[in-house]
Amino acid sequence: MTTTIQPRLTQVFRFVRCSYADGVAELVYAFDHGEELIERVRFPHAPALPASHKTAFERALKLLHLIAGVSYYKAGVPPKIELADGPLDDATADLLDALYLHGLAEFAYRNGLDLRGRIAFPRGGVAQPQAPVLNLPKRTLVPIGGGKDSLVAVEAIKSIGGEATAVWVGNSELIAACAERTGLPTLNMQRELAPQLFDLNRLGAWNGHIPVTAVNSAILAVAAILYGYDSIAFANERSASAATLEYEGQLVNHQWSKGYAFEQSLGDWLHAQVAADLDYCSLLRPYSELAITRTFAKLTPYFDAFSSCNRNFRILGPKPADRWCGQCPKCHFVFLALAPFLPKPRLLQIFGRNLLDDDSQAAGFDALLEYQDHKPFECVGEGAEARAAMYALSQRPEWQEDALVARFRSEILPQLSVAELALEPWLVPSAEHRIPARLQAALAFFA
Amino acid sequence: MKFGGTSVATLPRWQNIRELVASRRAEGARVLVVVSALTGITDALKHMCAQEDKGKRVEAAKAIAQRHYDLLDHMQLAVPDTLATRLTDLAKLADEGPAVLGELAWAALVQAHGELMSSALGAAFLSHSGLPTQWVDARECLAAVALPNQNERTKLLSAMVEAKPDPALNARLAEQGDVFITQGFIARESQGRTVLLGRGGSDTSASYFGALLKAQRVEIWTDVAGMFTANPRQVPGARLLQRLDYEEAQEIASTGAKVLHPRCLSPLREPRVPMLIKDTNRPELEGTVIGPEVREHAPSVKAISARKGLTLVSMESVGMWQQVGFLADVFAQFKQHGLSVDLIGSAETNVTVSLDPTENLLDSDAIAALASDLAKVCRVKVIAPCAAITLVGRGMRSMLHTLSGVLAEFGQLRVHMISQSSNNLNLTFVVDENVVDDLLPHLHELLIAAGALRTDDSALFGPSWQAIYGSGEVPVPAASWWRTTERQRLLEFGAKATPRYVYHLPTVRQQARELKTLAAVDRLHYAVKANTHPAILKALAEEGFGFECVSPGEMKAVMAAVPESVPLLFTPNFAPRKDYEWALTTRATISLDALYQLESWGELFRGREIVLRVDLGRGLGHHEKVRTGGSGSKFGLPVELIDTFLRLADTHGVIVRGLHAHLGSGILDESHWGEVYGQLASLAERIGSVAFLDIGGGLGVPSHPGEARLDIAALDRVLRGVKAAYPHYQLWMEPGRYLVADAGVLLTRVTQQKGKGSWRYLGVDTGMNSLIRPALYEAWHEIVNLTRLDEPATGLFQVVGPICESGDVLGTDRRLPEPEEGDVMLIAQAGAYGKVMSSPYNMRDEAEEIIIE
Repeated sequence: MTTTIQPRLTQVFRFVRCSYADGVAELVYAFDHGEELIERVRFPHAPALPASHKTAFERALKLLHLIAGVSYYKAGVPPKIELADGPLDDATADLLDALYLHGLAEFAYRNGLDLRGRIAFPRGGVAQPQAPVLNLPKRTLVPIGGGKDSLVAVEAIKSIGGEATAVWVGNSELIAACAERTGLPTLNMQRELAPQLFDLNRLGAWNGHIPVTAVNSAILAVAAILYGYDSIAFANERSASAATLEYEGQLVNHQWSKGYAFEQSLGDWLHAQVAADLDYCSLLRPYSELAITRTFAKLTPYFDAFSSCNRNFRILGPKPADRWCGQCPKCHFVFLALAPFLPKPRLLQIFGRNLLDDDSQAAGFDALLEYQDHKPFECVGEGAEARAAMYALSQRPEWQEDALVARFRSEILPQLSVAELALEPWLVPSAEHRIPARLQAALAFFA
Repeated sequence: MKFGGTSVATLPRWQNIRELVASRRAEGARVLVVVSALTGITDALKHMCAQEDKGKRVEAAKAIAQRHYDLLDHMQLAVPDTLATRLTDLAKLADEGPAVLGELAWAALVQAHGELMSSALGAAFLSHSGLPTQWVDARECLAAVALPNQNERTKLLSAMVEAKPDPALNARLAEQGDVFITQGFIARESQGRTVLLGRGGSDTSASYFGALLKAQRVEIWTDVAGMFTANPRQVPGARLLQRLDYEEAQEIASTGAKVLHPRCLSPLREPRVPMLIKDTNRPELEGTVIGPEVREHAPSVKAISARKGLTLVSMESVGMWQQVGFLADVFAQFKQHGLSVDLIGSAETNVTVSLDPTENLLDSDAIAALASDLAKVCRVKVIAPCAAITLVGRGMRSMLHTLSGVLAEFGQLRVHMISQSSNNLNLTFVVDENVVDDLLPHLHELLIAAGALRTDDSALFGPSWQAIYGSGEVPVPAASWWRTTERQRLLEFGAKATPRYVYHLPTVRQQARELKTLAAVDRLHYAVKANTHPAILKALAEEGFGFECVSPGEMKAVMAAVPESVPLLFTPNFAPRKDYEWALTTRATISLDALYQLESWGELFRGREIVLRVDLGRGLGHHEKVRTGGSGSKFGLPVELIDTFLRLADTHGVIVRGLHAHLGSGILDESHWGEVYGQLASLAERIGSVAFLDIGGGLGVPSHPGEARLDIAALDRVLRGVKAAYPHYQLWMEPGRYLVADAGVLLTRVTQQKGKGSWRYLGVDTGMNSLIRPALYEAWHEIVNLTRLDEPATGLFQVVGPICESGDVLGTDRRLPEPEEGDVMLIAQAGAYGKVMSSPYNMRDEAEEIIIE
């Protein structure tokens, strides 16, 4: 081990430099005067970059450098941030200050830290001129996560004949299998964390959740300029904007970088500083989890391939238990949210077991319902949404004798107001989204 | 003789058919060959039927014709007229489409061409190669009968034939020759239209012909040697079933075996025509004979099978079941919603039925609608996904007493329903589907171990699937050291004094070296609780092993025997605080497995690196008492408490350096460690400080002769696969019994004999005081009379010790030579958990320990 730094005692986090050559971006960071931490992001079969896109590419790469730094910054959370190539313009500094503060809020909460007032990217740099229109090809990068949401987004775009590529970052057999199932062309970027990060972890670095969607978004922004795409369509749904809990006056949202606030600020920033015709949006933003599960329930071909389980199985087997751990909040939530929309035997076939007829899962479902607990730190729907789904099941004879549904009826339901438990309001889309005109027709897929 | 699609698709396979037919002719038999269509042709014809575009249909017909031309080309034969006619007919059918004949009749006729063409081609080939063969149109012989429940579709596409012996047909064929070829899958109905026999149709055709001709036998030539005691894909150790009666075979086919469609046996039952299933590629294998039961056998379970995807509907009501017509009304609901009931179980207040996984069930609202209707008259619960595990064997009820181990296994699970019908052929348990894949091989082993599946009867049971079709050589296990090189020395030891444990260090070293071939494993620790003899500890230290101890006593024994550089693990369970305090003064890596230790003694561990032992929520192993995972076990921290543990660790500055899980003992399926390893790795990813994963031990050592050994090479592959996905974690293991079990034997001497009714007891001079495993775990140890090792084993004995406990039995129903007082008896595999678990109970002399270097 060459690093001798005590990560929690570091004073400065430095953005050293970033570069790109032959399909590999190198992002370099350091703590204090310690060893350089070099992350590499690999873009496969990268084409040569046209001169007209050079500035846009450099701006996107710089953003990636700034955003991906969050993985390293959090190891020490030092009081000072330094940039080797000078201060940021205010818009960029605002974006990053907000991302580091809110994106690390859960991390801070779990580690008992307060980051307010601690994160300040050097600012006051010269504002960049408005980015031009690059006439990017009219096609979309759709990130695939292996779960239901991105598959719904893919099918929505396919339904209007939109040209799209299924894209993901990292090695995942599950995602690769799902991406293949979509029938779209695929693009797989690799992110290689600096190996010294593992050493820092062993030396007692702070550890916890980072806003990984922001990092992936920045990688896709670079990819969009490099390969030529005019849009990046994530599959973040409405409830991603809802906070998980409030802690000493700060809202903590596990999925902040999947929320609308970040989508807006990153989308605006890309328009202003990278390419006026590069759209960044979430196709599922108008919808609740329940509206999405209802749509997904029609996509039978994915049933034996997808998984939202956060156990992140790296080695897949043919059995449902090889894709769904059945214990985590994601398994609980997806099971519950699909249940009102699928024939019961089909749902149970997907999961290989009945999570709602298992007493030992009571605490997990209670948390989803926000009953005696707060919502879990996971990408799951809102408590009221889970309650609506559970209420719907409690009214169905084929479900109501199952252990946890019966428990809901006898123990939880009497404390709730039935008027607030209807499923239908959740199926109504909201108007809040920034889906570009070219893709808006895809929303009909959810009707 | 019936041959399937792959058997008729190539020239070499036809040459094979020719050889087989010729050999039957040589035996003096007249032969009727029934063939399927060439592989892929029936699907191509179906596809053509679904094609609405005429041009594409004609194209498809041409492609199908080409397949046959190609094969003929290969046979160097011209297109025979019989085939040319068929091809012309097919082209015409493709051209005109369904309009003239009607959709279903047209489709039936189109699909029938697969067999019509293959049989015409076959007749030409066989005749040309010196076996004059008559082509017979099956439709002239098989007349479909109209059944009351049939609609047009089932009438045309899954027809039934009533096949009674027809001497006139026999006479007609006899006039024509000795070898015939005809089509499977097709027949003709009363209006003269061609009909299909549906799934399993070709085998059924063969049976119909067998019955019509009252054949000597029906031979089904296929790609597997017959029926097995279990699905070989789930249980590679499944044994070939060499003899079955019709009912058993039908039950096995109905509950899972794919080799035969259950319907094809019933035509043969009345005319008592036997059926023989044979492997086309391996004609030397005996195959499975299915016939009327003639010979008497001891009752035996014949097969175990599993059907998955079942949905149960449980209906609960008080006192209603007695009312006239109530059940009829309930079942009418199932009919109304198009759901067909399979198994039924009932109690006074509950009726539970199972539904098979049909499309109607999975993709329509049928179950919701059914539940709504049923909810009006009773409480309904829909339970899924379930699997039915069925034991099949004639006289099942008379075998119940042998099934206690199997029933105990089910006792660990949620059994939703048990069903046994009055025909006494089966016993079915409905359980949660997710347990089946692991359970089935285990039950198969248990049935053999319990003597319920009498694989010792070589008339009934053939070789295992693994032995016939398994990849690679099945290694013949080397004869044990005590049988060969050391036998004489052991006899001398035994003659001097007994009881004595003898440990063979070369075997310990050999086992250790075998485990060292596991390239993925970074560090091996010997779990010393299995055997703490200093010579064994020294030998394993020399082999580079670390040591895993569970008490200060074990630690002190190890520290006294091995060099100071050797790594130690301290993994106690419910140990007092002082044990941890002491262990912290040593070099040992300490593992914690509860919140309590940090909650109550957190400061003790400040700044220390520890291993967290987690409970992954399930246990495995050969006996309930050796399982160490699952809520019913006292070991490990449940996964859901890990976050709480980590917060406590952080509070006390404790660093979680390793994660450890151990599922149990005696596990023979290498994939389990891969699963544990993968699960630990995915947990470790949430914890930055983890550097190694300890997947425990529990490597099984088979005890019964013929039981498959753990495949170390396969285990290595499994582990390397996981390691490739998680290269940043070191991998540790903690084998115990695997290293020492086979290295130790217990010597004892015959004291007395006793007869009680038909039972014979053979007394030896030590028992559960020296070796408690048989009494505690029902462990099976091989027992031999070392003095008379070469004499024939003629008597059946209960081998018992001198302890005043009725449980002091070392082995039941053992075949041994007639013993004499003073004979030296040897109890094998006593190197692990033997001496270490012995007790002074009854104040009998303790066994001394001897080392063979």
